[in-house]
Amino acid sequence: MAGTIDPDAGISAAGEPITEAEALQRLRQSEDQSQQYYAAWWLGRHRSRHPEALPLLLAALGQRRPRDPGAGVEENAIARNAARALGKLGDAGAIPELLAALDDDDDGLREAAARSLGELQAPEAVAVLLRRLASGPAGAGATRSDSPRLQEPCEAMLEALGAIGIAEPGVITLIEPFTAHGRPLIRSAACRALLQLSGEARWADPLVQLLDHPQLQVRRAALMDLGAVGWRPALEPICQTLAENSLKLIALRGLVEQGAHHDATIEVGAVLGAMDSLL
Amino acid sequence: MDPIGERIQAVRQAASAQTMLDATRALAASDHGDGVNGEAIACLVEVLGFNNPGAAVAAVDGLIRLGPMAVEPILESLDPSNYGARAWAVRALAGIGDVRGLEVLEEALGSDIGQSVRRAAARGLGQLRLDALGDSRRQAVQGRCLQALVAACADGEWVVRYAVAVGLEGIGLADVNSDHLRPASRLALLGLSQADAEAVPVVRLRAALALRRLDGQPGG
Repeated sequence: MAGTIDPDAGISAAGEPITEAEALQRLRQSEDQSQQYYAAWWLGRHRSRHPEALPLLLAALGQRRPRDPGAGVEENAIARNAARALGKLGDAGAIPELLAALDDDDDGLREAAARSLGELQAPEAVAVLLRRLASGPAGAGATRSDSPRLQEPCEAMLEALGAIGIAEPGVITLIEPFTAHGRPLIRSAACRALLQLSGEARWADPLVQLLDHPQLQVRRAALMDLGAVGWRPALEPICQTLAENSLKLIALRGLVEQGAHHDATIEVGAVLGAMDSLL
Repeated sequence: MDPIGERIQAVRQAASAQTMLDATRALAASDHGDGVNGEAIACLVEVLGFNNPGAAVAAVDGLIRLGPMAVEPILESLDPSNYGARAWAVRALAGIGDVRGLEVLEEALGSDIGQSVRRAAARGLGQLRLDALGDSRRQAVQGRCLQALVAACADGEWVVRYAVAVGLEGIGLADVNSDHLRPASRLALLGLSQADAEAVPVVRLRAALALRRLDGQPGG
């Protein structure tokens, strides 16, 4: 999650307000790719329910070709935005093509597809995610020779396994070694997934500790991860960590909405009170 | 140099985020005794623009402690091009609750591009301290606050609508005498508390809590 968080992104990236019909039209045309790029984002952002949104986004997802840095907005950039938007539409009809995108050569597209399959809580994705991560921290989690990125978008894939929620022993066993990965963001994602899948408090402790990490980016990720799980015992550490109130509020919203099953000793009212003081 | 002067210097010379935070906390907690150091206010206002969230939180706390005398320096510092600083300044004005901040808060809630600014403004509009005003002036100000909050029930960001619920609660609770504003506050909160009008569960929960408090129910 970290690195992509901008609480005001929805507004600053939006430019001129457009209508749903305009967004669909911009995605339908193919002359201006920057318009397609924006339209794909728009439809996801507004969780469009228009019947044409799904087929148009699937077509945009299918518009892939090898990266061509000289071509301005690359077609894969549109495909990635389409993949992200498909997760937000909440329509299971997107699952087969997102699954195929998990095996694309473009790791940015694999990342977007993994996140969206997690949002859609698609059980069909578990087998592919396990296969892509099977080589563990030393394989899938190794740094690439040509970039600082990892062989696989581990953070997104681990988070997707947690969101999908299939707590089989094979899934747990595969995720556990990633809690010792060299990068704190990967450890955070692995702990988040294990906490979601098992509900065991031992996976929350490392996340709470990451709220004290010297890097803001890591603290932000831990905030988002604790919020996604809804781990109410982290209420006080979340309030105390040094980060923007916007992110703390998102995390606390997670504690309210996702947290009822974890710890009944911290009431919703206490979380709401903490949110009030962060506004 | 007096202790406050030293603390101002410590903030201005801070070389790391952590020393900035520690120095700002120390300055913000200063006991000003008989006279407030204008330089201390200016220094805390500067910290709002340093993109150091921890230090900004401490500076906002310090400015809120200083109260009405910090209002003019904050108003003069408002920088439309620095959203971070503007958000913290609106938050400080919201916390101080001085009526001189009314127009800034109204404008921020209605049209600021940053959701963090709008949410701070919504909270602030619900907690202006108006006891010193005469009845008619107070009711006029409260009416403006209410109008701005009701309009913002349609804000596109959940966190702003959450803050609007908190603000409407404040307006409703403050309206002890006239009962002019409470019905309109309740009506707006009712909309925010219902699933057909409000999609986000935490906003509905907060609006329902506000309604219970306005109705004086236990658990509210």
